Amino acid sequence: MATEVVIPMLGITIETGIIVEWLKNEGDPVEKGESIFVVEADKVTTEVEAPASGILAKIILPAGEKVPVLTIVAIITEPGEEIPEEYLRAGAVTTEAAPALVTPEPAVAPGGPSVDSRASRSLKIVPAARKLAQEKGLDIEALTGTGPDGAIICRDVEGALAVPLEPEAKISTMASRLAEKEGASLTGIKGTGVRGRIMTADVTEAIEEAQRPQLGKMIPMDTMRQVIARRISESAFSAPHVYFFTDIHMDQLLIYRKEILPDFEAKFGQRPSVNDFLIKAVSLNILDFPMLNATIRDEKIHILPEVNVCLAVALPNGLIAPAIVNADRAGLADIVKQRTDLVQRAHSDNLSIEELERGTFTISSLAQYDISYFTAIINPPQSAILSVGKTRDELYLNDGRVQSEKVATFGLSVDHRIIDGTLAAAFLQSLKLKLENPTFTFMHL
Amino acid sequence: MREITYSQALNEALRVCLAEDERVVLLGEDIGCYGGIFQVTKGLQEEFGPKRVVDTPISEAGFVGASVGAALTGMRPITEIMFIDFTTVCMDMIINQMAKMNYMFGGKGCVPMVLRINIGAGRGTAAQHSQSFHSVFMHTPGLYVAVPSTPYDAKGLLIEAIKNDNPVVFVEHKRLYNTTGSVPEEGYQIPFGQADVKREGKDATIVATHALVLSALEAAQEAAKNGIELEVIDPRTLTPLDKDTILDSVKKTGRLLIADEDNKTCGVAAEISALVAEEALDYLKAPILRNCSPDTPVPFSPPLEKAYIFGKEELMESVNRLMEYA
Amino acid sequence: MKLSKEKLLALYRTMQTIRLFEDRIVNLYASGSVPGLAHLCIGQEAVAAGVCATLREDDFITCNHRSHGHVIAKGADLRPMMAELFGRKTGYCKGKGGSMHIADMEVGILGANGIAGGGLPIAVGAAWSAKWRETDQVTACFFGDGASNNGTFHESLNLASLHKLPVIFVCENNLYGISLCQTKHQVITDIATRATSYDMPGIIIDGNDVQNVYQEATKAVKRARASEGPTLMECKTYRWRGHHEGDPNQGERYRTKDEIKNWMEKCPITRLSQKIVREKVASKKKIEAIDSEIIEAIEAAVDFAEESEFPTIEDMYQDVYVNERKSQ
Repeated sequence: MATEVVIPMLGITIETGIIVEWLKNEGDPVEKGESIFVVEADKVTTEVEAPASGILAKIILPAGEKVPVLTIVAIITEPGEEIPEEYLRAGAVTTEAAPALVTPEPAVAPGGPSVDSRASRSLKIVPAARKLAQEKGLDIEALTGTGPDGAIICRDVEGALAVPLEPEAKISTMASRLAEKEGASLTGIKGTGVRGRIMTADVTEAIEEAQRPQLGKMIPMDTMRQVIARRISESAFSAPHVYFFTDIHMDQLLIYRKEILPDFEAKFGQRPSVNDFLIKAVSLNILDFPMLNATIRDEKIHILPEVNVCLAVALPNGLIAPAIVNADRAGLADIVKQRTDLVQRAHSDNLSIEELERGTFTISSLAQYDISYFTAIINPPQSAILSVGKTRDELYLNDGRVQSEKVATFGLSVDHRIIDGTLAAAFLQSLKLKLENPTFTFMHL
Repeated sequence: MREITYSQALNEALRVCLAEDERVVLLGEDIGCYGGIFQVTKGLQEEFGPKRVVDTPISEAGFVGASVGAALTGMRPITEIMFIDFTTVCMDMIINQMAKMNYMFGGKGCVPMVLRINIGAGRGTAAQHSQSFHSVFMHTPGLYVAVPSTPYDAKGLLIEAIKNDNPVVFVEHKRLYNTTGSVPEEGYQIPFGQADVKREGKDATIVATHALVLSALEAAQEAAKNGIELEVIDPRTLTPLDKDTILDSVKKTGRLLIADEDNKTCGVAAEISALVAEEALDYLKAPILRNCSPDTPVPFSPPLEKAYIFGKEELMESVNRLMEYA
Repeated sequence: MKLSKEKLLALYRTMQTIRLFEDRIVNLYASGSVPGLAHLCIGQEAVAAGVCATLREDDFITCNHRSHGHVIAKGADLRPMMAELFGRKTGYCKGKGGSMHIADMEVGILGANGIAGGGLPIAVGAAWSAKWRETDQVTACFFGDGASNNGTFHESLNLASLHKLPVIFVCENNLYGISLCQTKHQVITDIATRATSYDMPGIIIDGNDVQNVYQEATKAVKRARASEGPTLMECKTYRWRGHHEGDPNQGERYRTKDEIKNWMEKCPITRLSQKIVREKVASKKKIEAIDSEIIEAIEAAVDFAEESEFPTIEDMYQDVYVNERKSQ
């Protein structure tokens, strides 16, 4: 990576310097800490050391020219590295870190014409800032003022909004909108557009970066995470979970699916997934075991009238489980359609509360991960949840012959307050049978 | 274009009007053979005669009142009061007669006269010859008030003042009489109620009058070196006041400094502050600041008088204060 | 000077119009129809009538707060005058001036003035204007004994005589400012003597003898028109009522009943009407007929005023400034 070599800060009063002599030539290798040029400022000369090891790839500022401190004067690259294009342009460039060298005159009233200092003593927030805060729904009490006497000024509100208002904002409109929508802070985003302009890609990257957990990082819980946390806790602490596992042979189902796939797709324009079959099978199974479609309310067991099976969908922020209605009565095509639509809208954050709350049973699959099996927590106020592990190839002994079969471990978690072990076992066993005999099961289509 | 002084520009305006309209007459103390205390009326009596350019006795109430009477009956007098301070001697004629006639007489008391006065300290002329209470005339309904800051504005506004049918208090400034600027040779008019944006900028607005317009421009040049772009607005007339130009500017920059030589309390700056606070409050990014003369009579002693007058330095202090709210 | 019958009757008519108008205002004011202040000139009619009879329509007058008489004598129309006193939109000043600011530029009335001494410089200006414009218009300026002590009196007389301006300064010496009698506000008895300080003629006149007033005014006007300069006419007279309506003078606060009674016996109108009848200039019946006409005109004016509308709030903001160019 290229390293900028600058005229360093030489003291609090020094603002400019001149390179007296380069001690190295362009193209020379340099060691970190090695002196590479001599600078003169305020009649004092100083040797300046290389900030990194590498090749002194380009000398930007020759000796003899007076420039402000922090002006970039050379580039050091790693061996074999190309010089970044921006340094190849002519003209001295100041690093972004250059402070504005403006010192306003201290206000000294000679007892004569008065600069009105009374005005800001009780000024909490300037009018333009107040208006902006109100428009954007910002709580003024929560803002910190950095203006004179602690007054809240426009930049404080702008900072809180993370959307600069100045017309020369170095951010594209699209990026700005995205940031606003996602509530992303723009501070520290490096713009990759022309002259450091922040582009949409930069904001997207920043958002993802912000959400990526990292060591030592503090991520505030957003609303969704807070809700999930609360509900999961509720469920875990109020419903005594019991777990049951079984290995289901998936060969027949997979063959069955493969067989109907072309005709199905030709007719319905969609491809049924394994999950769709699972949804159907589970809902048919519930008809035989209605207690697993129940909920506890006011010390009563309500066996729900509809069988609405939820499929857990993993989103960047957390898990969401929309329900396919009347899955027991729906044809496979209908299930595929509902499932596709709900999953898509889950990803675009477009589900209604009703679509989540109408669920009566949940299927949660980690089949695309190397997970053998797992214990899922029931989705309250439901009473049971089916977990699906990865389908694996396993050797079985069938009639004295060793065969490779596709097997997946399914788990059933039930609320032990209303579902006993034998019932749960029976449910799971029945489901296994259904899935291992797809032709008969899916006659109900 | 040739450059002439502020007082020469006024002289030209008077000459043009005397020549074009025989209803125009000049009255004032020592304006005739002496040419006026600031030489504004130099040469006019020679050219137009003592009948039309009249040296009056020290009778401000008398000759200002006479100007009112003459204006009511077909003449267009331009009457000079030597210093604004002397208007106190004939306040009745200005406030009760000149300003009010048109209104009191239901629109039939047209008084098309011009009362020329001057303001400003700096010549050691002390408390009764150095005041700047032109806000009193801005305050009085019925009077038009002009406050030119450059020779160009002075000539154009004076010619307009004479042709306008309203009674005009034309406020000149002692320290501006010898300043120079480009002025067309022919006569021209600048309408009342039209401010001049003497410099455009985006960071802060300075509304300034008279000599302070020049100070504001100096401050703007200095501020520009530090990357601060000031907008300087010269209202040119206080009544009618070009509110729109001032408000548009404040809406653009959000920061306002008003510089006027009147005493701070109840001066022109106070009025403009109130106006902006009423009509552009939401645009303000900082409190409105005023640079005005202190609330004292004008002192005599030179260091005191020097402290009394303010200019670029004091304006820069205010500007820097405004920019703390950036 | 012998005045013609027409002239005498005209003088009578003018004075009686003023008298009956003012009488009418007494009860209109008391009843609240005329708001604000009313300064009535009952007893002083001869001065206004006598001076204004010598003026042309294109001559000017300025007058003071007690100017109903001056304005009527100069030719103001009773109806807009009454409407102005009532504060109505149809008044001379659109209701915005009131009693003290009646003006009618068309007949040369440059406005009654509420400031004591305020009208003198303005009159000087009008006279000066005539001189500049080279017309022979003259200006008459009405003011009282109180105003003769104001700076503007001295400044105006000085300016007028300095430039030989065609102005007639008519001082109605009614012996009182508001409550201060003349002996207490100036050392001189005859204000006319001040004229010598300004090198102009100063004439003492019996202000309750309209013929005397007329004669002297004629001379002054002639002098002025001939560009010979200004004149100071001091008309000795008296007001019968208080300074303003509601002034407790009537209760003898600063004047004695006897004094008032004495002056009432010198009533200028009675003097003239008696003279007219005595010298057979016209019959009593004729006099009464004139009176009836006047009363009818005044009542018509009252009706007009009562039926007129008040100005609106929007009207309040009009005429502060002149918006169109009236003359270029």
